[in-house]
Formats: sequence, structure tokens, C-alpha cells
Amino acid sequence: MSLILPKFEYYKPSTLDEALELLAKFKGDARILAGGTDLIVDLRSRIKKPKAVIDIKGIKELHKLEYIEGKGLIVGATVTLNELLEHPIVKSKFHVLYDSVRQLADMQLRNRATLVGNICNASPAADSAPALLVLDAKVKAVSKRGERVIEIKDFFKWVKKTALEPDEMVTEVFIPEPPEGSRGKYYKATRNVEDLAIVGVAGLVAHPNEPSKRIVRLAYASVAPTPIRVYEVEELFKRDEPLPKLIDEAVNIVLRKVSPITDVRGSDWYRRHLVDVLTRKLLVELFLEG
Amino acid sequence: MKITLTVNGKKYEVDVKPNETLLDVLRDKIGIKSVKAGCWRGECGICTVLLDGKPVKSCLVLAAEADGSEIVTVEGLMKDGRLAPLQKAFIEHGAIQCGFCTSAFVLTAHWLLSRNPNVTREEVIEAINGLICRCTGYEQIIEAILAAAKYYKK
Repeated sequence: MSLILPKFEYYKPSTLDEALELLAKFKGDARILAGGTDLIVDLRSRIKKPKAVIDIKGIKELHKLEYIEGKGLIVGATVTLNELLEHPIVKSKFHVLYDSVRQLADMQLRNRATLVGNICNASPAADSAPALLVLDAKVKAVSKRGERVIEIKDFFKWVKKTALEPDEMVTEVFIPEPPEGSRGKYYKATRNVEDLAIVGVAGLVAHPNEPSKRIVRLAYASVAPTPIRVYEVEELFKRDEPLPKLIDEAVNIVLRKVSPITDVRGSDWYRRHLVDVLTRKLLVELFLEG
Repeated sequence: MKITLTVNGKKYEVDVKPNETLLDVLRDKIGIKSVKAGCWRGECGICTVLLDGKPVKSCLVLAAEADGSEIVTVEGLMKDGRLAPLQKAFIEHGAIQCGFCTSAFVLTAHWLLSRNPNVTREEVIEAINGLICRCTGYEQIIEAILAAAKYYKK
């Protein structure tokens, strides 16, 4: 690995319009720089070789972190993960997001890395993604042609591929108010703190003791080409049957939906084993807390 | 392009290329060698500096991004040519073996204790767990940080 970064043109626009102009001009040969904790690694290893790097930290409106009571949380593209963790509402209301972001990389990296960057990098191992999936987050994509909202479940297309067009960028993520009475958690199996997840499991549970009102959502990192939410388990938990039986059935459904690979972090078999164990542990804990 | 950096209170105007990192500039253009280069991919944390007060890994920051910001390296913690109590605590607790990672740990500890001098052992571990010490002297480092906390209490 060369230690010197490849050559590129550096731009630091101060308005969103300028940034969109640049994106349109370079036609997919430009990369957005927010925290840089993924981009600079990929530049150095020549995985990405853009002609231009567009630093968006000079665009004030992207540094928005706002909670609207009864609606949800808006997280702008340049809000760092530590800024997110320090916002009291994230800890008190968006448990699963707080829990997953706390386990994302390490404290030094979280001072640079952003939530929007984590999803735009579209790693199957993105720690914030399962949390955003169970929270039904919405991604705002903007280009010179206009803006659109992409549901987070439609945002990840493949390993490191998103639904964004080359001239689009994400300006913010909107996270709706979690279901009333819900609790959430993220379990991450890793080799060490700053490594990627071997398997990550996010869960959200509400009203565990009332079958008709019960909500159970599960989403995973590092078990498929993209982070995935397993919607198939959700109807199951509306049944008025003993929870241990429902958990068994849910785990079987999840194991049929995942398609983990074998890599340096763990084998396909080991990842399946972790999915089984962590899903059970997570659900039991969330049911008992509820 | 020209950028301006304030490093340990002193202003520098430096000519940089877009593909140079803050780490490159601090070591090779400003000449501060206490900032070490380790993995070059944000994993070891040895290149940590305080950027506008916050610890960041300088191998993952472009020099251009740091334009106009304030940088503190471990030298910046000294007062009137003397080591700060936190730095002394590292020596007293044997928290230095080869010394390669020490600046990164001291700077991170300084940030941590400045924010909260009543830290718990768990909080210390959480703050430093992105830094690698290959001599594996973590226990002494944790003890040194906890012992230095009293100097940050008003």
C-alpha cells in the first residue's frame, strides 16, 4: 500500500448549490468528503480514484441536528457521530441508534465520522444501518435536478452500492419518532473495538406482553451484501403464542434470510451461529425489559 | 494551496497539496515528530492530535480540511517548559515503555479529563480503546490517567 494519497482536485464549497454543481460537472468522478474516515482509507488503498473530492463541511445548513417533538430527528450530512451521541434526545428516545453508534469504530474516529457517511459508504457491516432500518429512517437525496426521499430499506443496493445517482448527494437523514413504548438494542460481535462487525444485530420491541399491539423488528449487519431488515418475522410476533416458541420460529426465519460470507473475521458457519445466539439474547433482553 | 494552522499556539502558513494529510504536514513541513505514523488507515490511533480541541486521527484528515484550525500536539500540554501533571503521571506510573504511542494516549487523556475529571475506569477504557500500545502497557496507562484526574478538578 502506498502511503501517499493519489492526486485529486480538492473543493470546499460553501453552499449546497455549488456542491451540486460540482457533482453534476464531474459526472460520477467526484466523491463527497464529510468525516473522511472511510474515504481517505479508500483513496490511500486506491479502491477509489476520483478526479475530485468535494469537502462539504463548509456548507452550514448540512450541520443540522434537530429533534421535532412528535415527528422525529433530523441528522444533517456533516453531523459527527459524537455530536449525535451527545444530543440528549438520542440517548433517551432513539436507544437502538445510540447503542449502535456507541459501538461504531472508536472515540477518535467518531469525532470525524458522520452518520450520513456511514450509510453512504454502504458497507454491509455499517453499524448504524441496522438501527436506521428498524427505525424506518428516510434519506434525503439532492441533485441539481431536484430532491427525493429514499426509504432506508431501498437505499442499500449491494456491497458499497447505494441508490444514489452519480449527481446526487445525501443532505440529511430523517428518523421518525420510534413507536410508542418501544425499546431498542444493538449487539455487535467483533474481534476488537475498532474492527468491523462480524455480525451486528439491531432489535426494536414494543408492548411485548400484548400480542395484538406487540411490535418486533430485527435488522442485521455483515450477514448479506447489504444491511438487511428481516420483515418476515414481524407478523409472526402478533400471534398469541408463548414467546419462546415465537423466538425459535423467528430465528429459523432469519437464518433462512441471511447469506453470510466467509472472510478474515469469521466463517459463514460462525456468522450463522452468531445470528442465532445474538438474536435470541437480544429478544429475550428486550422482552424482559418491556 | 496555502493553509493556516495554529499549532500549539503558534501560527503557521503552509503550502500544501490536496493529497497531503494533516499527519504529513505536521511531521514533514512543521517538523513535529512526536506525532507518529503507524498504520495510515485509522486503526492504530498513534497519529492522534487535538483538532479544535478534539482527538482525531491525523492520517485521516486532509491538510486542506484543517485549514484555519487549531492543533495541539503533546508538546502543547507543557507549561513554561515543564511537563504537565498528566505527563508526569505517565512517567510515575510506568505508563511509557517504548514511548511510540505515548503522545496519542496523553492527548486523548487530556481531552477526556478536561471534559470530565470524575471519570470512571470504564470511561477511560472507552476513550482509549481506539489506540494501540504494542508494548501492551494498558493497565499502567489507565492507572496514570485515573491518577492525573485530580489535577483537572477545580
